Amino acid sequence: MSKNVSAPLLRTARLLDLVPFLNTHQGIALKELAAHFDVTPMQMSADLMTLWMCGLPGYTPLELMDLEFESGYVTIRNASTLAKPRTITFQEGVALLLGLDLVASSLPEDRVDLLSSVDSLRQRLTQILGVPIKLSVVAPASGAVSTAISHAVQTNTGLEIRYHSLYKDQVSERSVMPLDLYDSEGHQYMHAYCFTANDYREFRVDRIERAIPAAVPTEFSTHDVNQEKISFSITGKSLSRDVSERFAISDMPLEKAIELSSYSRQWIERSVMASGSAVVLNLPLDIRSEVAKKAQLMLNRYKEA
Amino acid sequence: MSRKIERLINLTIALLATKRYLTKSEIFRTVEGYEGSAETKERMFERDKDDLRSLGISIDVGSFDALFSDEAGYRIKTENYQLDLGQITPTEVSLLSLAADAWQGAAFADQAQSAILKLSSIGVPADPIDIPGLSPKLANSSKDLETIASAIGSSDYLIFDYLSPNLLLEEREIIPIALSNRSGFWYVSGVDNAVQEVRTFRFDRVHGAITIRKNKEAFEFPSGFEFGQIDSASAVSLAIIDVRKGKGHALRTLATSVIDLGEWDQIKVPIYTIEYLTAQILWHGDDVFVHEPTDLREHVIKELQALLINHE
Repeated sequence: MSKNVSAPLLRTARLLDLVPFLNTHQGIALKELAAHFDVTPMQMSADLMTLWMCGLPGYTPLELMDLEFESGYVTIRNASTLAKPRTITFQEGVALLLGLDLVASSLPEDRVDLLSSVDSLRQRLTQILGVPIKLSVVAPASGAVSTAISHAVQTNTGLEIRYHSLYKDQVSERSVMPLDLYDSEGHQYMHAYCFTANDYREFRVDRIERAIPAAVPTEFSTHDVNQEKISFSITGKSLSRDVSERFAISDMPLEKAIELSSYSRQWIERSVMASGSAVVLNLPLDIRSEVAKKAQLMLNRYKEA
Repeated sequence: MSRKIERLINLTIALLATKRYLTKSEIFRTVEGYEGSAETKERMFERDKDDLRSLGISIDVGSFDALFSDEAGYRIKTENYQLDLGQITPTEVSLLSLAADAWQGAAFADQAQSAILKLSSIGVPADPIDIPGLSPKLANSSKDLETIASAIGSSDYLIFDYLSPNLLLEEREIIPIALSNRSGFWYVSGVDNAVQEVRTFRFDRVHGAITIRKNKEAFEFPSGFEFGQIDSASAVSLAIIDVRKGKGHALRTLATSVIDLGEWDQIKVPIYTIEYLTAQILWHGDDVFVHEPTDLREHVIKELQALLINHE
């Protein structure tokens, strides 16, 4: 249901959904019923009272719904017209279909049983929507990896991971104690103690290539390395969406120095290289000359070939 | 307020229970709650119909007598009102809750939960799935999802300002047909009004608000659309590239084949756009060397020359 539906309409929807729920949950405690519909027991009593006044035209006791709830437990009779749950709305269907797609891409490939259940649900839901629509979600990280991490966080156990560091262009095996999974700027990260680095580290989950449960020590020691940010300055030479996204600059002035900073020298150098003719690195000078050196080295190789 | 709610429920019950279309006068006579002058009742009924429709209840309008077609009748068809998912298993119930929970704190959280509430009325208990830790989440959700989904549902136009590759804002007008999420980014695909072809747009490159323009004409859903085309024309050719052993991991993940050359490996990677692949190649510095095609190689050399001149 859309968020801009008014309060009386929300209540109407709740009452319509209440009838089929009571039909399959006869004798449910009023408190439990209120919790299920996320309202106070008092509001639930008022809802039931309103329903009690509703029914088929004629509105004699024979046509009204028969509700019993004074004992604190709720039963319903004579509600056959509304007995079945309402169909889902288009937006509800889209929400479930996108969610199911994510679930499917997070399942281990050998769970054919679950994958075919998801597929069958998708077909039935699409049919209910009755409008052609294409939906697709691919989990950024492998299902096995995210599942292993969340399990490790929940049970306080360690992992052996294979991690791809994009800046260093290096794949390393590490032994870690995962502490948290969180989202930041569209990516999922694992906060962990890394026994290879002997310090706390953040790992991007989609760059973890493999994660398997492993025994790790329970004591962490940290050596206090103060990571310092490196200031650098670039000048834009042409308008490029890629460059503005790479350096996260929303407004990119041309021919004007922009001051930025990063924790990684490698990231600065690689980002400038990748930007080609669109960006000039002004400072620091050592990275700047490294860029020139590398460009010369590569050009020589193309000349030789 | 509760009188209005009672009236809406009574109207729903009456329109569901009837086997034929009910005329307005029949409704005013028999359904409890319609009071006042003819005009008041009329207004009440119009608003009630809109309200029920906004809850997703579809009310059929028809004539109850073919000979006297001047008076419209109303009813709610059971098959349109009731949820029909067929037989549902305890495992399927669990999968649907996982799907709904994926939206926790994100754009469709309310819609997902109200769908689950309806499903819980089927009365099938959930059978938890035997994979510990399985709880995927849809990160980076966008507030635009609701607007876009409703435009897809009604084949309406979406109008928005989009950041082009050369950083210009261009107004685009599309009839959306698809939603997708790749590497954590949301994309909308739709028939672009200017070119009458399907184009794909990344949500975070849309500037400002998205507006909807009603489409009154029939819309034909384009055939043959596949998600492989996302973010650019699909790759048609392959580049041949040497990559140093143990290096170039990001490029290696794109490779369709690998030949071992000793100190180097030769890989083939699909070319989506020359610019994109050039940036990928330059990122890896002297760990990567391009053989083919010529236009890619020349573009890489041109960019390297510029880098050298700009940084000497």
